Amino acid sequence: MDQSQIRDFCIIAHIDHGKSTLADRLLELTGTVSERQMTDQVLDSMDLEREKGVTIKASAVRMAYTAADGQSYELNLIDTPGHVDFSYEVSRTLAACEGALLVVDAAQGIEAQTLANLYLALEADLEIIPVVNKIDLSAARTDEITLELADLLGVEPDDVLCVSAKEGWGAGEVLEAVVVHLPPPRGQPEAPLRALVFDSHYDPYKGVVAYVRVVDGELVDGQPLLLMATGVTTEPIDLGIFTPQMTPTERLGTGEVGYVATGLKTVRECQVGETLTTATRPASEPLPGYRPVKPMVFAGLYPIEGEEYSALRDALEKLQLNDAALIFEPESSQALQFGFRCGFLGLFHMEIVQERLEREYELDLIATAPSVAYRVMTHAGELLEISSPVDLPDLSTVEEIHEPWMRIQVFTPSDYIGPVMDLVTRRRGVYETTEYLDAQRVLLSYEMPLSEMIVDLHDRLKSVTRGYASLDYTFIGYRPGDLVRLDVLVNYEPVDALALIVHREQAYEKGSALVRKMKEVIPRQQFKVPIQAALGSRIIARETVSALRKDVLAKCYGGDVTRKRKLLERQKAGKKRLKQFGQVMIPQDAFLAVLRLDED
Amino acid sequence: MGEPFATFVIHLHNSQPCDTVRAMTRIRSTPPSHPVALYVHVPFCRSRCAYCDFDTYTGLEFAMPAYTDAVCREIEAAGERWGSPPVSTIYFGGGTPSLLPLPLLRDILHAAQAAFRLSPAAEISLEANPGTLTSAYLHDLRNLGVQRLSLGIQSFHDAELELLGRLHTQAQARAAVAAARESGFRNLNLDLIYGLPRQKLCHWQETLRTATALEPEHLSLYGLAIEEETPLARQIAAGALPAPDPDRAADMYEWAAETLAQAGYRHYEISNWARSGQECRHNLTYWRNEPWLGVGAGAHSWLDHCRWANLTDPLAYIQATAEGRTPIIETTPVGPEQEMGDTMMLGLRLAEGVATDRFRARFGLALETVYGETLRHLQDLDLLTWDGQAARLTPRGRLLGNQVFVHFV
Repeated sequence: MDQSQIRDFCIIAHIDHGKSTLADRLLELTGTVSERQMTDQVLDSMDLEREKGVTIKASAVRMAYTAADGQSYELNLIDTPGHVDFSYEVSRTLAACEGALLVVDAAQGIEAQTLANLYLALEADLEIIPVVNKIDLSAARTDEITLELADLLGVEPDDVLCVSAKEGWGAGEVLEAVVVHLPPPRGQPEAPLRALVFDSHYDPYKGVVAYVRVVDGELVDGQPLLLMATGVTTEPIDLGIFTPQMTPTERLGTGEVGYVATGLKTVRECQVGETLTTATRPASEPLPGYRPVKPMVFAGLYPIEGEEYSALRDALEKLQLNDAALIFEPESSQALQFGFRCGFLGLFHMEIVQERLEREYELDLIATAPSVAYRVMTHAGELLEISSPVDLPDLSTVEEIHEPWMRIQVFTPSDYIGPVMDLVTRRRGVYETTEYLDAQRVLLSYEMPLSEMIVDLHDRLKSVTRGYASLDYTFIGYRPGDLVRLDVLVNYEPVDALALIVHREQAYEKGSALVRKMKEVIPRQQFKVPIQAALGSRIIARETVSALRKDVLAKCYGGDVTRKRKLLERQKAGKKRLKQFGQVMIPQDAFLAVLRLDED
Repeated sequence: MGEPFATFVIHLHNSQPCDTVRAMTRIRSTPPSHPVALYVHVPFCRSRCAYCDFDTYTGLEFAMPAYTDAVCREIEAAGERWGSPPVSTIYFGGGTPSLLPLPLLRDILHAAQAAFRLSPAAEISLEANPGTLTSAYLHDLRNLGVQRLSLGIQSFHDAELELLGRLHTQAQARAAVAAARESGFRNLNLDLIYGLPRQKLCHWQETLRTATALEPEHLSLYGLAIEEETPLARQIAAGALPAPDPDRAADMYEWAAETLAQAGYRHYEISNWARSGQECRHNLTYWRNEPWLGVGAGAHSWLDHCRWANLTDPLAYIQATAEGRTPIIETTPVGPEQEMGDTMMLGLRLAEGVATDRFRARFGLALETVYGETLRHLQDLDLLTWDGQAARLTPRGRLLGNQVFVHFV
């Protein structure tokens, strides 16, 4: 296909604004997928994606389209991950496109992610086609949203497309707009090959399948390839396009989108952002913007049944084949025995991994409270990176502790500025700016430590704004903080899995709240159980679970024996689900108490 | 007669599980000469108490004669099946057995006399509601040979009786005790309940003092258990009543144990006290895990290494027996391991505990061999004592019995 007849584009939207449904309609309309084959939302292939309504893995589909001008075009639709944890992957997808459909829900209007994605798209120099979706809804405010969107982008309201992807209204206009308004791919066909990897998946027969956009030159079957970031060379098994099934081709020309089956064994060898070039005539410079993925959030995952440890390891290994961002290493805890310290891009990523482990691999897990990665400078001049509170060395040896900070943007009706401000500043948020989109809606910007976000910030934000606020965040860097480790002692023994790293000023408040919660969840035992919060050797809060005094079936006569035995069997089974910690039985709930300190 | 139970007989004697159980162990088959305790369930009540989740029904009094017939037939069949075993105790429980008219009670006792070898010294007990007793009825009961009367007093506070949904008043309770004495009952049990919502220690002390002043031979003190789907449970769930305070109940129990010891009662089971020699022999059978035969709707039996249960609905029970079908709905063979566990779980309720010689005589294994490690662990927790001869709960263990029993299920 002539380069001028190609269009590479993506769809960006806030979660649930109908990105996937619109993609389905475009595939149908171009005959890429027949209506009969159409399982709803073709591009989202994982169950979880469909259920959560978000796209986790990007996909890319080639569509053939004959436009109103009578000419044939090759349209490559690249799907973007819909969640902020995957913002780096989003940025690489955008880099593979010339334009983007910006989809906004006609009832919900512009949201934080709409803006965040739009800014990313503008930074990537993309041409934007504004689309108002779901105009069929009774709650649709199509005219109002259209004006807002036109205003935001500085275009005429007439340039905003109004569609209902669900009903199929206006999908044709969208395809025409793609052909007319988006530029064909830039890039030099004669230059040495440079192909951008914007996604990948692991295939048991073909190894890592890299999803690529050919930026310069051409990819020809049979050429050995060089991965410029890692320096790895490989002879691909084949290459092809997504129709949306993987369909082998001989070559991919400049501007074309497709896949390369690299034969590599792990996705970490071929990460998003990588540049592929030919081994025989390599490009002099890789494409800009490569960044190896780096987990930001860590938690211990432990099997509830100790025997499932190796099953958990196998499952994590399998997930890792497809998920370059997931890392894990064995960890042991006095209280929870053997498990894995896992690293994730963010909380959402963690939730997905945990759910897949539980659902697809049928594992019962306990997750410890999530932590961030801290950088610890010791007096001896060592730099330690720690991802678990138990690894924090004695503070007397520590020069400084640095923690990751984020810029967060909260998009909210202006009525809730107060509660949002309150919530964020209580979590050490530092106010930056307020931007009014109109009289009713504002975009609040703050900087705040990631550690303050990973425990339920999003839920709390939703709750203080009655569900109206939306949130976006990006990593801005490491900063020093006055941080301490808060230990929890049960029956005078520190419970490793309950330790927390907190800001010194919050230690007392968090310590008190934590022991109070623990008291609620630890059942009474045969002796009294003190629960203490400590900074080093100093106890800062204490509660006591008083001893169980009476636990006996008052009556047990002939007819009762069977029933009473069943009651006791149930009691025994309940006991088994507790974790034995020294003399004390601790329920799994206790390990999550730390997640609920804010609830009162 | 006997026909209705033909299938069951075959099941019991030819079925795999029970035979296998016997073959696998040295447990001896119940010798026919071993006395059996007979339980007769009387599932009728005037009204339902607020805490009750037993098999009992109101408004079914019309069915009493037919029910009595059915019970008599079941007794007759059991006598044939088990070869007229000796019976040393009969216990009429409920429900409210004292609702049964005398002639019906007489029929049942006659049927038992005909079907079993009833020991002349047999203990015959009957549970009675103090609100329904008359002197005449009590006299006739004595004449029938019932010597042990168990009165459901529950409390000597009218407000508490109302909370529990009892029909009688404390004045009626006192009158019932007096009438029983006049009628010649020399073996009287009073049932009391402690640990009620809002009940204070002093309320309980008054109730128990009043009870001991009446000098019963036997006392059963039950900590109130809130059973699911009872009116009390609903009131508590709705917030209309506070849940009972377990710590306060523990105080009440400890106070009661001390007071009754001073008054000369022997604390022979977790919830039971008696003058020496007046322990309830029928109930001792249960706690020693010895055989008993239950008849009537919802009655359970434990005989020949099997447990079984009858239909719970009295009308269905009547119909089944009238049509010559077995009223048994479920038979479960009990393996040696479970029988040993049950023997521990039940026997530890008794002050005598579980003695190693009896255990060995029954199972052919030393208590130490089977449970030594568990017993030492529980001894370390001060829940029981284990001296190599017998295992017994400590006073602390009596209040935390479940923490012990779970090791044996």
